[in-house]
Amino acid sequence: MSSPLLEIEGLSGSFRSPNGALTPVLHDVSFAVPRGTVTAIVGETGSGKSLTALSILGIQPPTFQRSAGRILFDGRDLLTLKPEEMRGIRGRRISIVFQDARAALNPVFTVGRQLADVHRLHHGGSASRAMKRTIEALRAVSIPEPERRARQYPHEFSGGMAQRAMIALAALVCEPELLILDEPTTGLDVTIQAAIMELIGDLVRERGLTACLITHDLGVVAETCDRVVVMNAGRVVETGTTEAIFTRPRQDYTRRLLAASQLGETPEMIEA
Amino acid sequence: MTRAPLAWSMRIGLCILGAYVALALISLVWTPYDPLSPGVGDSFLPPSVEFPLGTDRLGSDVLSRLMAGTQYNLGIALVAVILALVIGSALGVVAGYYGGATDIAISRSVEIFQAFPGVLFAMLVVKAVGPGVLNIILVLSFIGIPDYARLARAEVQSRRNWPYAEAARMVGNRSWQVAFRHLLPNSMGPLLAFTSINAAFVSLVTASLGFLGLGLNPNTPEWGNMIARGQDGVMTGEWWVSFFPGLAILGMTGAFYLLGDALADLADPRRRR
Repeated sequence: MSSPLLEIEGLSGSFRSPNGALTPVLHDVSFAVPRGTVTAIVGETGSGKSLTALSILGIQPPTFQRSAGRILFDGRDLLTLKPEEMRGIRGRRISIVFQDARAALNPVFTVGRQLADVHRLHHGGSASRAMKRTIEALRAVSIPEPERRARQYPHEFSGGMAQRAMIALAALVCEPELLILDEPTTGLDVTIQAAIMELIGDLVRERGLTACLITHDLGVVAETCDRVVVMNAGRVVETGTTEAIFTRPRQDYTRRLLAASQLGETPEMIEA
Repeated sequence: MTRAPLAWSMRIGLCILGAYVALALISLVWTPYDPLSPGVGDSFLPPSVEFPLGTDRLGSDVLSRLMAGTQYNLGIALVAVILALVIGSALGVVAGYYGGATDIAISRSVEIFQAFPGVLFAMLVVKAVGPGVLNIILVLSFIGIPDYARLARAEVQSRRNWPYAEAARMVGNRSWQVAFRHLLPNSMGPLLAFTSINAAFVSLVTASLGFLGLGLNPNTPEWGNMIARGQDGVMTGEWWVSFFPGLAILGMTGAFYLLGDALADLADPRRRR
């Protein structure tokens, strides 16, 4: 098996408060994302999962100070790259889907134009060709009437439709090797959450993408993800295949997390 | 205060401004009399069929001069406002997006300049470098730049960490692309709304400079010059010499206000109809 696409090794760091005091938030975080898999990073709010994911793209909050660790992407340490080299990786090789898709779309341009602009940024070509590819991408994420939808503005999209458009942008227009999804289904209806997760699973399998899904909801992990990294209070608690984590959790924290989402067969649930 | 419905303020503004543009274009090829030559009629003839807006002290036709004046007043206002909008917004976007030393350098220079009264500055500069259409345009756009820069800076600064700016960076846009292609278009509303106030101000200052004899050559049929030429007649009953150019300034200022309102709405897709 080839080396993992993404490897995080011993990432540690703290938040610096205005008076200079350091609050440690990440403790020796290490995990790997093998090529062609969907790896979920699961944890509660404040567990450091989003911070870790944002660090991959170098968009951690400015108050975060790294004290140790490496983030190896395809064998290169992203933390040592110059800003210009990092820009060449963003969008081209790693792209991200944010939690609030409607806020991530620019309100003054049509959705189609935004996707087409990014297509031209990465692949060049004429505006009409870019728009054609955009409409194909919107169709591929099951947006009905993509020709009409492409001419609409973000405020005319529902949350679920906007998230589909963002996935079309991040996964299909950018054509990255690694797709990071930061809580992509939080704030959506349960039925729409399921449809979005199914879409992500399909895209990853059909296009051979590698994806890293950040979520606090174990419920969305079970069917889509191959591997799970459980985080708590800035530490990696447990890492394993989805099946292993769900059926044979080794750590108490993982068991409690499963019990909270009522998915795993934990002793408490059987007793209840 | 309620605003006129978009469609109406837009329509009325465009109609009035269109009329001025038409007047300016017609005056290039035809005016009833030569606007520059005195004595086409007697002095201070009241409005009549022969001279619809009367004649001034030198016996020039007021209508011909008013038509020819549109070229100067409209042209100066439009060019000065567009220059100030482009340069001021660019400075403001750079200051607001990049922050730090760049921001301090731009913001402080703008503030120092703004502490000086604009009209006084315009008068001094025109006095120093001499009258002329180009000089007036440059100095009027220059005194408009600080306002645009400060507006654009505030807008961009408040938006540069919004999710769509972050998202634009994450798909690989360069920083200038995020600043000018994503954030600037989102800031166009207030900037365009300000152009109307600025255009009205520029029209008034142009006329003021002309009235004070600092603007263009006194014989140029610029509206401020015309009002100045008619001021000695106002008290003795020859009101028409100053009244009609004054009305022309009022109409143009009003048209700019209406249009600016409508443009600000157009910049926001949620308010577009």
